[in-house]
Amino acid sequence: MSNLLVNTRDQKFLIYEQIGIEKLFAFDRFADYSQDVVDMVLSEAEKMAVEVIAPTLEEGDKEGAQFKDGKAYAPSCYQEPFKKYCEAGWLCASEEPEVGGQNLPVMLRTAVGELFAAANMSFTMYPGLTHGAANLVKVHGTEEQKNKYMYKMFAGEWGGTMCLTEPGAGSDVGALRTSAKRLPDGRFSITGTKCFISSGDHDLTENIVHPVLARIEGDPPGTKGISIFVVPKIRVNDDGSLGEPNDVVTGNIEHKMGIKGSATATLNFGENGNCIGELLGGEREGMKIMFQMMNEARLDVGLQGQAVASAAFEHAVAYSKERIQSKSALAGKDPNAEALPIINHPPVRRMLMWMKAYLEGIRALNYFTGFSIDVSHASSSEEERNKYGGYVEIMTPICKAFSSDRGVEICSKAMDVYGGYGFCQEYPVEQYMRDCKITQIYEGTNQIQALDLIGRKLGQNGGMNIMSLFEEISATISRVKERENLRSYAAKLEEAYNSVAELPMKFIEFFKSGKPAATIQNAEPFLAVMGDLLCGWLLLQGADIALEKLDAIYKEAGADTVEKQKALAENNTEAAFYEGKIASAKFFASEILPTVRTRCEIVKAGEIIPVEIAEVSFAY
Amino acid sequence: MNIVVCVKQVPDTEALIKVKADGSGIDEGGIKWVMNPYDEFGVEEALKLKEKNGGDVTIVSVGPARALETIRTALAMGAEKGIHINDPALEGADAYTTASALAAAIKEIPHDIVFCGMRAIDDDAGQVGSILAELLGIPQVTVVTKLEVADGKATAVKAIEGAQLVIETSLPCVITAAKGLNEPRYASLPGIMKAKKKPVDVKDAAALGISVAAKAKIVKMMPPPERAPGKIVGGEEAAEKAAQLVKLLREEAKVI
Repeated sequence: MSNLLVNTRDQKFLIYEQIGIEKLFAFDRFADYSQDVVDMVLSEAEKMAVEVIAPTLEEGDKEGAQFKDGKAYAPSCYQEPFKKYCEAGWLCASEEPEVGGQNLPVMLRTAVGELFAAANMSFTMYPGLTHGAANLVKVHGTEEQKNKYMYKMFAGEWGGTMCLTEPGAGSDVGALRTSAKRLPDGRFSITGTKCFISSGDHDLTENIVHPVLARIEGDPPGTKGISIFVVPKIRVNDDGSLGEPNDVVTGNIEHKMGIKGSATATLNFGENGNCIGELLGGEREGMKIMFQMMNEARLDVGLQGQAVASAAFEHAVAYSKERIQSKSALAGKDPNAEALPIINHPPVRRMLMWMKAYLEGIRALNYFTGFSIDVSHASSSEEERNKYGGYVEIMTPICKAFSSDRGVEICSKAMDVYGGYGFCQEYPVEQYMRDCKITQIYEGTNQIQALDLIGRKLGQNGGMNIMSLFEEISATISRVKERENLRSYAAKLEEAYNSVAELPMKFIEFFKSGKPAATIQNAEPFLAVMGDLLCGWLLLQGADIALEKLDAIYKEAGADTVEKQKALAENNTEAAFYEGKIASAKFFASEILPTVRTRCEIVKAGEIIPVEIAEVSFAY
Repeated sequence: MNIVVCVKQVPDTEALIKVKADGSGIDEGGIKWVMNPYDEFGVEEALKLKEKNGGDVTIVSVGPARALETIRTALAMGAEKGIHINDPALEGADAYTTASALAAAIKEIPHDIVFCGMRAIDDDAGQVGSILAELLGIPQVTVVTKLEVADGKATAVKAIEGAQLVIETSLPCVITAAKGLNEPRYASLPGIMKAKKKPVDVKDAAALGISVAAKAKIVKMMPPPERAPGKIVGGEEAAEKAAQLVKLLREEAKVI
């Protein structure tokens, strides 16, 4: 029976059968883990998601975050769940035991994070940002800063944020105007305004610690001159107790389309010249330091997009089995034909198949990236650490942009399955679609992600990162080609792979021939074909495994004809699951992958019509 | 204070139950197993008592290998140790045999108070707790919604139809937990990691010296009959519909 949030069987398939978490158990960092522990972690997280967090979804949306008398409030129904979530240790699960964590593998954190975000994405913003900010202090803070801020943040007693964006500096962080003036005691006086600050102000915790990007007076303009400061909402005394307010004033909170339960604040630092910040890390290292949090946050946002899509999909499938409408189109004019549940109608089925295939594809993408982070941290082999670290670099913009782009589309199709009812607030898909939309925009718009992919990640490490990822894909193609039942699908993956693999050279060519616009212009289509290629790869890799398991089930049950096999799947949930995995891969290879080649041809043509068109010609 | 909690692993309340074709039991394929919800109240109450008075909590369960997951869950919630009574001969055991196995295990360890769920949500018999108390020769209070333990006495509130009984008993005793007793905690992540290292003794029927001869046997299991579709009472006028309805109730449904 579905929990209507996440297909936990697919989670376990990725964790145990496809990606193989047991490879991580061999590393010292994860020595305390075993399959029974992982099972229990997943089932407790599911319980928390279903019983504690999911009930806040609708209420939190209706009440929304509030702003009264200069203070922001989270929806009141978040209070108890936030405490339970922190007490159960989820906020800092992946950290070391010394700081309150349990060394939870990031792949597993991805799986539990999916459950929580599917239950209520807005809710997860508060612990998510707190974790990221605390992590900055852990990696870059002094012992004093760690003692003062980090432990309380990891415990969920104090919140955290990331303060980058300003009214005049969004995607272009280098244009920021917040300034830091040296004080005689080595600390800094911070002045400036930050906007769109998620969890910027709320009442879930008694204090909030803001990592703030600012420029020390006299430092050079642009991103090179940016430093990062720890700025608490309320000052912290040396003994750890709370002192005076720190002149961080909440201007307002935004009224948004979705994630209404998440308080998105405008914060004014030092309006009265009395806001004190401590430098985090070295001077002018702000961007480098903040990127650590941004990279983590980008993966979280990709996961949010995928998780909300998962909830929308699970709801759509359940609804399509209940909602009765229209007799079968194949029944012709038979007056006695009965109206059927809409899942029987080919157009609905097609939407569900599309959603299922993409959802499983992006889920695999996110879990594989989580696994890569684990290997890059914990492997004893330097070569392996570097290789997987390279995957994480390449995958980060793709996970963020591709998961959120497809996530929003999946939500949209889920609404289509519900028809007119889906557009109404009585049904949850309407909220899923509103909540999901922001994942394409915040934490670096998806256009920024595409630029990051081609501008920074493609050529990184002399192009070795992408090359070794391509080798993995190649290896899967060779292996799956050996399997008769999947050979033709592997050929489609190979064709897509060959087309995409030509593009990096083409981009260099554009640059050399004085057509950089053709590269920049094609960043988004490139990220999209990369996303399809990676999803196609992981789905086929999964189908290869599923096929083997399914054959074993058939053999054991003596199901040697198609009829017997179909009948078996009706009563055997395992057989049904594996058949579903194979169908996802086949559908994706048949319907999506063949488009990749043409789309690559379009990129290679290097048209720059949108760049050439005159601005005045865009609108009349 | 030595506290014992008996727990049973049961199919999730949301699980789709299918009876095996031969009627010998349910088809366990694809079922998600959980701790019996009433037993969760028992575990929570035991942990609260321990936190207040000190002592330790032992979890006892009768069940196949998978029942260990349920014991671990209780250990992750905060219990100290477990006893897993695992014997193929006890598979599908009746209430008396189950209670005998539990009693034999509990007799060997100190116990000031023993918790059970008021009933298990799978077979709904509601007998194990009472039989267990008899076999241990100690008092019992069943269907408890509130409990105080102090000065070697337990004061329990038991719901009965239209009223509540307040019952005082000496220790040791058996308490069967009902909904409303408390709100069970969630196992924390640190709890889950610690649970793995907590001791669980595995025992079989021979080690406990009990007879596995069943007093009751399941002859056949079958799903409840499918509910017949509803009927819309025809007729133009209200009076005509009423007459039709009365006729149907008398002749078809035979309820008046």
